[in-house]
Amino acid sequence: MSSFTLYNYVLSGNCYKVRLMAALLGVEYDTVAVDFYPGFEHRSEPMLALNPSGTLPILTADDMVLTETQAMLGWLAAKFDPTGRWYPADDPVVSGEVLQWLGVASRLTGSVGAARLHAMLDWPVDGEAVRKDALKELQGFELLLTDRVFAGQTWLVGDHPTIADIACFPYVALSPDAGLEHDGFPAIRNWLYAVRSLPGFVTMPGIHQLHELREGAHG
Amino acid sequence: MSTLPVGLSRDLSAKRVMRATVGGQDLVVWRATNGEISAWDNRCPHRGMALSHGFVRGNTLACLYHGWHYNGAGTCTYIPAHPDLDPPATIRTNRFSVVEQDGVIWVRTDGEAQAPDLPGGLEPLRVFIVAASADQVQCGAAQVPYEGQMADAGAVLHFGAVSVMLLLSPLGDGRTQVTTLASAGLTVAQRSALSRWCEATRRHVEAQQEEAA
Ligand code: FES
Repeated sequence: MSSFTLYNYVLSGNCYKVRLMAALLGVEYDTVAVDFYPGFEHRSEPMLALNPSGTLPILTADDMVLTETQAMLGWLAAKFDPTGRWYPADDPVVSGEVLQWLGVASRLTGSVGAARLHAMLDWPVDGEAVRKDALKELQGFELLLTDRVFAGQTWLVGDHPTIADIACFPYVALSPDAGLEHDGFPAIRNWLYAVRSLPGFVTMPGIHQLHELREGAHG
Repeated sequence: MSTLPVGLSRDLSAKRVMRATVGGQDLVVWRATNGEISAWDNRCPHRGMALSHGFVRGNTLACLYHGWHYNGAGTCTYIPAHPDLDPPATIRTNRFSVVEQDGVIWVRTDGEAQAPDLPGGLEPLRVFIVAASADQVQCGAAQVPYEGQMADAGAVLHFGAVSVMLLLSPLGDGRTQVTTLASAGLTVAQRSALSRWCEATRRHVEAQQEEAA
């Protein structure tokens, strides 16, 4: 029996967060493909009945409907990770740090995500303004990650990856889609590599498997 | 073009590949499994694709596109489509001279790289890019206080007991990569504060550019 249903659009970084988290936790689920572009199906009446805000992804499990991506990550970890390492909620400081990063993830989605939609789908926004905004967010993220490097740490919180890493990962990784390369961001580059090295890691268009970790690949 | 920093040794571990630029030259910089570092023109001799998308196999760099392997000498050692062929020695990458000194990776594109002798007591802090020329960064940095203190202008900025040195690499597109060194043995909190000073410097210099424009 599958444990939840994901209303999914394959090119969406937010939908990918949920697919990635589920894969890392080894959870099976059903997907319903939603034609976000060019069909705008997420704004259709049946979809709005399920999610009045008209966004993707949507996660349903029994009677529960979640429409906020970061909430889905928290639910997945709380439900399917008995070790509690992916969503450490016992210590107030640690829990505060995780939630803080989820806020950072939302800002990355709003800035890099918007710049990417503009670059890829010619979304009707001020391209120069969103790109500037996205660059500022990436610079801020690099600064915070560099603090982690100074502390000798790989992950955003503690010494194990958490939902914070998964929430921030896709839009940082996808920023080259918006013309924002990672060349000047060594801390970002190394953290992206660490996430991509996690056992069970899955890909999406624009985010590839690490070739060197493919078992038996010669080329 | 002189010998310029392209990054920090600590930011490129064994088996890793990065893209870098000096003076408009697009580079792939990679470290073999044995720790040896190479800096090449970022173009595969086969069809010219970016080698920075490639990956390290043992002590060779494999191009992502058709999987040709190149060893540290830049010589092609393996062509997947012709596994039994010994690739002709003429297939080589365009290599540049690279050295590692003081925790910094230095490259020279027109001769033998020779890292300058840096003042003692400094260690790498971080690397960042500013949308301004090297001169503008050098001038602007001396105008940004650290913990309320102004530094004397000079190659090394002294804020009381804390010293900072900026190594400037023009990227060739109006931007400058800044490799920052700071006094050795600082606490994590001090390094973190200096890292914020770097951000303040970037904002200050870029704001000056916008005003001037
Ligand atoms: S372009 Fe590099 S192997 Fe073909």
